[in-house]
Amino acid sequence: MSSASTSEQVPLPEILIFPARLLRAETTEKLLNKIYSVKNVNHITVSGEDLPAVLGSGPGKGKANDHPERQVITVQGTEVELRLLVGRIFVEINDIDNVPKAVEDIEEVCKEMLPFGFNLEVGRYSKFRPTVTDYKKNR
Amino acid sequence: MAKYERQFYPGMTVPAKNRRRFIDPSKKLEKLRDIAMDDVVKILGHRAPGSDYKSIHPPLDEGTEPDCSIRQIVTPIEGAKKGDRIRYVQFTDSVYFAPAIPYVRAQMYMSRLRGIDTGTLSGRQIIEMRERDLEKIAKEYIDNETFDTARTGIRGATVHGHACRLDENGLMFDAWQRYRFNAKTGQVEYVKDQVAIPLDKPIAVGKPMDDKWLKAHTTMFRADDVDMRADPEVMAQNLRLHTLRTLCGYKPFDVKGE
Repeated sequence: MSSASTSEQVPLPEILIFPARLLRAETTEKLLNKIYSVKNVNHITVSGEDLPAVLGSGPGKGKANDHPERQVITVQGTEVELRLLVGRIFVEINDIDNVPKAVEDIEEVCKEMLPFGFNLEVGRYSKFRPTVTDYKKNR
Repeated sequence: MAKYERQFYPGMTVPAKNRRRFIDPSKKLEKLRDIAMDDVVKILGHRAPGSDYKSIHPPLDEGTEPDCSIRQIVTPIEGAKKGDRIRYVQFTDSVYFAPAIPYVRAQMYMSRLRGIDTGTLSGRQIIEMRERDLEKIAKEYIDNETFDTARTGIRGATVHGHACRLDENGLMFDAWQRYRFNAKTGQVEYVKDQVAIPLDKPIAVGKPMDDKWLKAHTTMFRADDVDMRADPEVMAQNLRLHTLRTLCGYKPFDVKGE
């Protein structure tokens, strides 16, 4: 058996925020800005339910989908086009040793911002290196 | 021999009793709201209110139909007599304690209505029917207790959302946002028809029901409320159906001794 490469990349930990409700754009904007102010936060990724720009079927196919929650939000001074109703937030922390304190701080933010309830988990949820599909699609 | 008495659904838990009540045509369903017929027609989006019904064949009383024993047995519904087109309405039910669920809708419709074709999917249930009859039925089922304004949706296409978390206002997710919560009035209002074509003005359909009401009126067994396993009669009946299906497919009457 050949020896494994020792330069294998170690993923950074993530804290998953799972709100009990899907978040409005306004709540998402406030929440992301507050979480970015938490110490040792590297990066935030969100996922949720897709809000298409145009109607994809039916007699109105091709017409604009006027959805009030599909809008541009400002996160840390940068404008971001929000194309989904956010249901999961993945907060990457810069070191595993900083996770316990970051969880405490993020929990405080969530208690204030998400009165309807939420769950927090620690793990690694988003990809941290290109996949075979990325390679094949030249991403 | 005792006279056969029709049965509807087993069980003594709240969802089981509600299912029995929904399916039994002798039970009158509670009317919660009264949406104007013109507004229902606008939400359906098949014709402009006040316009004529389009027809696909001459009225039956013109006598152009061939002689047929089935035609003599079956009394046609009003829309069939006039030759109306077949149109549809489709309801989506959230898994978060919507009053109805697609399978119960199918059983309820087949038990209570004439002249329909219905189809069951995971989160939605379509009714196809002659247009003028469909409008009456759509109004009846928007007005009555099978419909909650927040957890039930009228969606002709892109129905996705029944298994998603609710939004911050407690509404079932809708990628096309056909209806919205009006915080000033506390009511849900439709701003698009069932295929997301914008309406001239919003149509208010009423306030969402609270959780207590929903749990008392739901037909949904859920592990976090009334678990189906808490109802031995329902479980026994389901097990019997599965056993007969396994032993004899669609011919359960061929199984002896079960």
